[in-house]
Amino acid sequence: MLVATRALARRAPASSLRVAHLSTASALEAESERFSIYNPTEEHVALRQMVRSFAEQEVDPQRAEYNEKEQFNRALFARCGELGLLGVTADESCGGSGMDAVAACVVHEELSAADPAFALSYLAHSMLYVNNVNLNASEDQKRRWLPGACDGSKVCAMAMSEPGAGTDVLGMRTAAVDAGDHYVLNGSKMWITNGCVDSETLGDGALVYARTGPGRADVSLFHVGPENPGFSLGQRITGKLGMRASPTAELVFEDCVVPKEDLVSEWNGAALCMMRNLELERVVLAAMAVGIAKRCVDRMGKYAAERVAFGRPIAEFGQMQRHVAEGYAKLMAARAYLYATAVDLDLTSTGNRLDTDGVKLFATTVAKEVADAAIQVHGGYGYVAEYQVEQLWRDAKLLEIGGGTLESHHKNMIRDLAEGLPPGV
Amino acid sequence: MRVLVGVKRVIDYAVRVRVAGDKSGVELANVKMSMNPFCEIACEEAIQLKEKKVASEVVAVSIGPKQAQETLRSALAMGCDRAIHVATDLRLDQELNPLAVARLLAKVVADEQPDLVIVGKQSIDGDNGTTGPMLAELLGWSQATFAAKFDVAGDGATAEVERETDTGTEVVKVKLPTVLTADLRLNTPRYPKLPNIMKAKKKPLESKDAADYGVDLAPSIVVEAVASPEARAAGITVDSVDTLVDKLKNEAAVI
Ligand SMILES: Cc1cc2nc3c(=O)[nH]c(=O)nc-3n(C[C@H](O)[C@H](O)[C@H](O)COP(=O)(O)OP(=O)(O)OC[C@H]3O[C@@H](n4cnc5c(N)ncnc54)[C@H](O)[C@@H]3O)c2cc1C
Ligand SMILES: Cc1cc2nc3c(=O)[nH]c(=O)nc-3n(C[C@H](O)[C@H](O)[C@H](O)COP(=O)(O)OP(=O)(O)OC[C@H]3O[C@@H](n4cnc5c(N)ncnc54)[C@H](O)[C@@H]3O)c2cc1C
Repeated sequence: MLVATRALARRAPASSLRVAHLSTASALEAESERFSIYNPTEEHVALRQMVRSFAEQEVDPQRAEYNEKEQFNRALFARCGELGLLGVTADESCGGSGMDAVAACVVHEELSAADPAFALSYLAHSMLYVNNVNLNASEDQKRRWLPGACDGSKVCAMAMSEPGAGTDVLGMRTAAVDAGDHYVLNGSKMWITNGCVDSETLGDGALVYARTGPGRADVSLFHVGPENPGFSLGQRITGKLGMRASPTAELVFEDCVVPKEDLVSEWNGAALCMMRNLELERVVLAAMAVGIAKRCVDRMGKYAAERVAFGRPIAEFGQMQRHVAEGYAKLMAARAYLYATAVDLDLTSTGNRLDTDGVKLFATTVAKEVADAAIQVHGGYGYVAEYQVEQLWRDAKLLEIGGGTLESHHKNMIRDLAEGLPPGV
Repeated sequence: MRVLVGVKRVIDYAVRVRVAGDKSGVELANVKMSMNPFCEIACEEAIQLKEKKVASEVVAVSIGPKQAQETLRSALAMGCDRAIHVATDLRLDQELNPLAVARLLAKVVADEQPDLVIVGKQSIDGDNGTTGPMLAELLGWSQATFAAKFDVAGDGATAEVERETDTGTEVVKVKLPTVLTADLRLNTPRYPKLPNIMKAKKKPLESKDAADYGVDLAPSIVVEAVASPEARAAGITVDSVDTLVDKLKNEAAVI
């Protein structure tokens, strides 16, 4: 919709413009803008159109440069704030839009098709931080933290993983003690998206999980920022395979002082916050996977029609047909599973683990496989940055690790599927 | 001052149109539809007038099938205050002619009493470019077409308009009320922000039947057949400048 005039404005040579119908909007695109399970309400349709226009006009063009330089695009992030995307699921009274899990999926799918790395930083901020605060923090805390996080002036993170504990997250060793009028935090966190914004600078706020009791599930949640004494940037992690425009940090806590009013939820009560937020995280990571797969199908379809070998478009060769057709079918299966899961996901609930794990398990591998097929169809051109598919392939791989490895999904799902199994580790 | 903006639902500018098998028109089934790009510019201008406190209310109107309400919701999400849907099932690209649209809009103007009407300079389906001028004529108002810049004077009685013409830019002064038709360079339309998308569904949208306005909607132009342009034949490579000159002279007869 709004892309239209902008694109026209760029091309317009003179006042007496003959408006031509430009490129092809694929069957895929037209289909996903109508009411359907992907867009259950009028607001979802409008949201998808808005994010798609924004992604085409502003996210796509910056992708190559920021990923090559491993830089976070803070100005683009601020634009997401202006457009109201950072608080998609947050309360309206705190600067959010109070939308549902489907809306969150719509935004992730569209942003990820243009630049998965930028979408990952969007996810860490708006889902792992904003949505977590919105659900688990007190009204006073929400008023203190959410407006700046929703308007884009603050870039925030959630820190759960540690150098020695990832899948086994409850094996975390970062610990906090109650020192009377404040808490003291010691330990370190690893792989924290938006933990920093560049090699020297911490992000503006983070939710940090820490051990606070002898029981395995005795963890609490704290809010920290660069202003807390004893909190520092261990390192910015560089040289990642993919997701290079998304900053990843090691965070260090050395006798870090946390004011009493910055404990989120109950003392020893954060396991529930973690589980509830992980369900949404997995669904939107699956949405990112769908965005990647969609872009790959689109790219390989177009390329197969254009590229000529042996005197014919390569789309006429059976092996190429298989890549494109199977890619499309896998994409649509992942997408249907995604929106079927999201539409039933009540953000305030837990206990949706089977399908939130299941959809991430399925969709992320689809993204990797479809990206691989897209490179294959592009031949040598698929191996270089210009056609985007090599980046999508590298970025897709993270989705099989972050937010829970494939194996962690197997481990979780078997608890629901093999009834009567004794409680696992 | 109240501003009325006309917004039309058309095939999305990015869709590759296909002619229907029976040549009755272009294929509309399962095709992505959007707000006409020049109407987006018209909307943006009206909203900016409101932001500058020149306008007090912006009313969007769309004539078309039920789905035209989606186009109106987009206008509301951009920032229009309320919307009027004039329902008709006539095909907007060829059955509902610009004159009928202008007549309907004139009736809406009579109901709403705006001080300014902004429409796109043309819609990208019919490419007629006549709705705005005909509306001005029916109303007996001034008109400023192909507007690239629009400034209302402090007293609200006149406006200065920069018009884009084939020979250059022309600046004209018009008396209000006036009909403005928006050209490309008038402004850059905004994306609707998410909170405004949420607010749009709560804004009033009134639907009326085109038949109730008592105007003649019968097409004065009837489309006989629609055909795709002929595919261009592939070019040839010539081996020397002499052959090229020879062919341009004798085959193409252009030099
Ligand atoms: C780019 C990036 C961004 C990230 N962002 C964040 C963030 O913002 N916040 C955050 O807290 N974390 C973040 N992470 C961390 C991520 O969640 C972890 O990397 C992930 O949970 C895996 O943990 P690990 O790396 O310690 O691997 P490990 O847990 O050590 O796993 C190694 C291998 O062992 C397997 N394994 C482990 N346990 C089992 C088991 N019981 N059964 C079978 N197999 C098992 C795993 O599946 C995996 O294959 C990020 C990671 C990356 C790479
Ligand atoms: C890093 C790199 C280094 C290279 N180094 C060299 C070098 O040193 N010297 C050199 O000469 N070349 C080199 N190449 C080129 C390489 O050999 C070609 O990229 C490769 O042969 C594929 O050709 P293409 O890229 O033109 O793809 P295309 O031939 O266009 O293939 C595109 C797709 O169509 C498929 N396809 C094509 N024809 C058929 C068919 N008949 N049936 C079924 N499927 C078909 C292909 O399998 C592929 O999936 C290099 C390429 C890269 C990326």
